[in-house]
Amino acid sequence: METKKRGDLIINGFGSSNGGQFNQVIVNGKGTVNSDIDCEKFECSGTGTVNGNIVSQSAKISGNGKVNGSIESQYLSIDGSAKVANNLIVKKLNIAGKAYVGGKIKSDELKLRGKITVEEDCEAEVIKAESQFTIGGLLNADLVDITIFANCKAKEIGGQTILIKQKSSLLRLFKGFIPTQLETELIEGDKIEIENTKAGMVRGNHVSIGPNCIIDVVEHSGELLMAENTVVREIRKV
Amino acid sequence: MNEELISKKDLLDLAGISYGQLYRWKRKDLIPEDWFIRKSTFTGQETFFPKDKILERINKIQTMKENLSLDELADMFSPNISDLQLEADEVVGRNIVSKSVMDFYLENEKGNHQFHFSRLLEVFVLEKLLQSGEINLDEAKMLLQVLMDNRDQVKQKSADLVVTRKLGLSSCLLLINNEGFYFDKGTKIAAHVSLVSCMEEIKSKLG
Repeated sequence: METKKRGDLIINGFGSSNGGQFNQVIVNGKGTVNSDIDCEKFECSGTGTVNGNIVSQSAKISGNGKVNGSIESQYLSIDGSAKVANNLIVKKLNIAGKAYVGGKIKSDELKLRGKITVEEDCEAEVIKAESQFTIGGLLNADLVDITIFANCKAKEIGGQTILIKQKSSLLRLFKGFIPTQLETELIEGDKIEIENTKAGMVRGNHVSIGPNCIIDVVEHSGELLMAENTVVREIRKV
Repeated sequence: MNEELISKKDLLDLAGISYGQLYRWKRKDLIPEDWFIRKSTFTGQETFFPKDKILERINKIQTMKENLSLDELADMFSPNISDLQLEADEVVGRNIVSKSVMDFYLENEKGNHQFHFSRLLEVFVLEKLLQSGEINLDEAKMLLQVLMDNRDQVKQKSADLVVTRKLGLSSCLLLINNEGFYFDKGTKIAAHVSLVSCMEEIKSKLG
């Protein structure tokens, strides 16, 4: 690419700017950037709004970030609250706060902790979630490892290995009051181990169904393990 | 289109692949999104695929994945070649586009002489339609405008371009994911090209 030196865009306090190509973009106060940004490092610690797309090497949203566009980055961590109108295309994505994504997430390594809403599909090689999430489309990964912290929802879940387990709580006392579960229409995978899941259809090779599941149909080609206090309306061996 | 469909379960049996592989290929865009056809059956929602297309694609993936990585495969199957760069002279030299059409394109598009895939596609479509005499120069300008305004759409989806004439008045339509279109009797379809097949033609000319 071009060799000319890029400048920085730093907003401390109130301010607004147009976008462009930068080395660093840092928003510390209440800043607005009004067009696309192409930068090495993007950081938003205050209340930042970007009315455009962000392309960066690494990005961090620790305050309250709003992006009316897509984010494309090698690395992104969201510790505060972020609202992204379109897609998140990020190699390594860490969400620990609250995030809303209006489009889809495409990632290699995805870690979710906190509260996440994705309107469309969510794809990664590895997804680790200890959170509450709502996914409007397909949750697709080689390894899906979910620990349910509060009610979770995904339209479909597919992949090679799918593990869904209930948070092991020290306060077992409260367990009865707050029943948490994951709700989905379809789970498809080669190896499936689930707990506290409500699903329309579960299809797989090795299927293990733990306690507190409500499942309409299970189709399995390999072995099937079932816990005692779980409801499966129909089992088909194929 | 009445092509034969195959359910996901049958496909896995027939092709001898696992759910993990199928989902991985979908993630890598080796299998186009619109091949996943959802239908409700008596067992609930099921996903179907166009049988011939998907089997051919899986066959290709399986034979080629020994030598190529999945990402390289994805580049091969995707309809546009993203890192392509050609000089205008080279495009003419390789007989992809004639000199006169190239001059016309450069004059109207006002771009430089570097051709990436989107621009190559545009000039190729013009060449095709102008050489066959299906459209005139004014219509070509209009058509170019439509293509340039919708570059993003053309890149990602399967698009068709239609030029119509009625009472000597022409207009140009870009159809995305087209399933068919109908006009009133007075309208004559002057030209109809599928951009996907144009892309394939260009690719074969380049390769």
